Amino acid sequence: MYVIGEFHEKERAAAAIRTLRAGGATAADLDVFSEEPVEFPRGVLDRPSRMSLISVSGAIAFGLLATGFIYWAQHDYRVATGGMPLFSFWATGVITYEMTMLGAIVATFAWFLWESGLARPRDRSAPVPMVDPGSICLRVRCRAGQSAHAAEAMQRAGATGVERRES
Amino acid sequence: MAPAPELLPYQRIREDLFRPLSRVSRRYVLATVCAFVVGAAGLAAWAYQLRRGMGVTGLQRPVFWGFYIVDFVFWIGISHAGTLISAILRLTDAAWRKPVTRAAEAITVFALMIGGMFPIIHLGRAWLFFWLLPYPNSRLLWPNFRSPLLWDLTAIVTYVTGSIIYLYLPLIPDVAQLAEHNTPWRRKLYRALSLGWTGSDREWHALERAMKLMACIILAVAVSVHTVVAWDFAMAVAPMWHSTIFGPYFVAGAIFSGIAALLIVMSLLRKVLHLETYLTPHHFRNLGKLLLLMSLLWLYFTMSENLTVWYGNEPKEMAVFGARTRAQYAPYFWIMVVLNFVIPFVLLGIRRLRTIANTTIAAVCVVVGMWLERFVIVVPTLANPRLPAAASSYAPTWVEIAITAATFAAMAMLYMIFAKLFPIIAVWEFKPHPPEDE
Repeated sequence: MYVIGEFHEKERAAAAIRTLRAGGATAADLDVFSEEPVEFPRGVLDRPSRMSLISVSGAIAFGLLATGFIYWAQHDYRVATGGMPLFSFWATGVITYEMTMLGAIVATFAWFLWESGLARPRDRSAPVPMVDPGSICLRVRCRAGQSAHAAEAMQRAGATGVERRES
Repeated sequence: MAPAPELLPYQRIREDLFRPLSRVSRRYVLATVCAFVVGAAGLAAWAYQLRRGMGVTGLQRPVFWGFYIVDFVFWIGISHAGTLISAILRLTDAAWRKPVTRAAEAITVFALMIGGMFPIIHLGRAWLFFWLLPYPNSRLLWPNFRSPLLWDLTAIVTYVTGSIIYLYLPLIPDVAQLAEHNTPWRRKLYRALSLGWTGSDREWHALERAMKLMACIILAVAVSVHTVVAWDFAMAVAPMWHSTIFGPYFVAGAIFSGIAALLIVMSLLRKVLHLETYLTPHHFRNLGKLLLLMSLLWLYFTMSENLTVWYGNEPKEMAVFGARTRAQYAPYFWIMVVLNFVIPFVLLGIRRLRTIANTTIAAVCVVVGMWLERFVIVVPTLANPRLPAAASSYAPTWVEIAITAATFAAMAMLYMIFAKLFPIIAVWEFKPHPPEDE
C-alpha cells in the first residue's frame, strides 16, 4: 500500500517526512518526487552515497589493469630497446593515466545508474505520481493498517492533497 | 528589457525551450540540405583518396603532416569549448552558466567525433585503423605503447566517452519530460533515453553527485587530452616543436578557440531559435571577457615560444622561425596575430564595443586565427627539416580542401539535428528555485 501526498512547500514536506519517520517509516520506504532537485536539511531524508568511493575504485582498477596489460604486452613481444628497459613507466604513464580516468568515468556512470535505481530491478507496481511544476509529491510505502496514520500525518503537515493507492 | 530567465514562469520556460523541437522551418531544411551536400562532397573526396591513394593530397616528402593533422588539432581544440568550460562553470557554481552548458557540451561531442576522424583519414589505408587497437592477432604484435600517437588514441577515447556521458547525464530529466507528450517515434526515442526517470529524490541526488564528480574528472581529462596532442609534436626533436611549453600552450589555445566556437554557436542559436530571453547580453559579455583573457594568454605563450627561439639564434630553429615570420608562411603568421589578438583586443577590450555582434565577430576571427595557428605550427617545421637539402613546401589539393570544408558542414549538420531533437538549454536547471536551506 502506498500513500501519496502533494505539497507546495519544501518545509511542509520535510515536516511530513519527520513525522512519518518518527512513526517508524524508514528512508527506504519514502520517496520524494519533483521536477527539480529538492534539498532537505541534513537529517530529514539523507541518502548516503558511495559514488566517490566507487569512482576512485574504478580508477584504481582500470589504472592497474592498463599498467599490467602494457607490462605483459611489452614482455610478450620483446622489441630491441638497445639496453633500455622493456617496460618504462615514463613512456607509458600517459596511457595508464588516461585509462585511470576512463575507469573513474565508467565507474561513476555505472554507479549513477545503480544508485539512482535506473538500472536496478524495481517495483513496477509502485505508483509514480504526476508532479505539477513547483510541487513536491511524497510517497510512503506502508502496511494497509498504517495508511490512515500516514495520510493523517501528511495532511497535518500541510499536504494539499493525499491519496492512497494499492501497489 | 526582458526579465531574467529565472523569474519567468516555468510553463513559459518549458514552452520556449521545447518549441524549437516541434517546428521545422524551410530555412532549417535548406540549411541542413546545404550542409549535407558539402558533407557529401567531402565524403566523395575521401572515397577518391581511398581509391587513388595518398598521392592525391599535397603531402609529400618531407611534409607528411598537412591539412589533416591541422584539422585534427583544430577540432580537438574546439572540443574544449564544452566539457571544460561547462565543468569549470559548474564547479565554480557560476549561475550564468545555465543556458550555456548544454550548447557547449554538444560542441565537444561533435568536435571530437569530427576531429577523431582525421587520424583515420590521414592513415591512407583507413580500413586498417584497427591495427592501432591492442588485440591478440596472428602477427603476435602489440601496438607501441611508447608512441605518442597511441597516447593520443587512449586520450581521445577517454575524452569522447567522458564527454558523451557528461552531455547525456543532465539530458535525462529533460528527455523524461519530452517523453510525456510527443509524436510516437520521438516518444520511443525519449523513453529509451530517459531510462525510466521518474524524478524521485534518489535519482536527483545521484544525478547531482555524478555531475559534480564527472565535472572534476572531465577537467583533468580535457587538460591531458590537448597536452597529449601537443606532445605529438613536442616529443619529436624537430625545430620549433621540441618545446617544454607546448602542452600548456596547446591547452590555452584549445580553450581560446573553444570559447570562440561556443560564442558563435550561441549567437546563431539565439537568432535562429529566438532565445533572446535566455541567451542575454550578460552571457555574451561574460564569455567575451573570458575570450579577451584567453587572447592575452595566447599572446603571452606565442611571445614566449617565439622570443626564446629568436634569442637562441640556433640555425635550424631560425630557419623555421624565418619561414614563419618573414618568408613563405609569414602572411599566415601575421594574419593569425591580427585575428587572434588585435581584433579581439579592440572589440572586447573597449567596453563600448563589447556588443553581441562584435563579440561574435571577434569569435569568428579567433576560430579562423586558431586554424591558421595550427597550420603555422605544423607545416613550416616539416617543410624546413634539419637536413637543408630536404627543405620543401606544401600546398593542399582540392581533396584536402573538400574534406576540411566537409568537417565544418558536418559540425553544422550535427548541431542542427541535435537542436531539433533535444532542448539546447537544460530546462530543469532553469526552473525558479525556492531559497535553499542553510
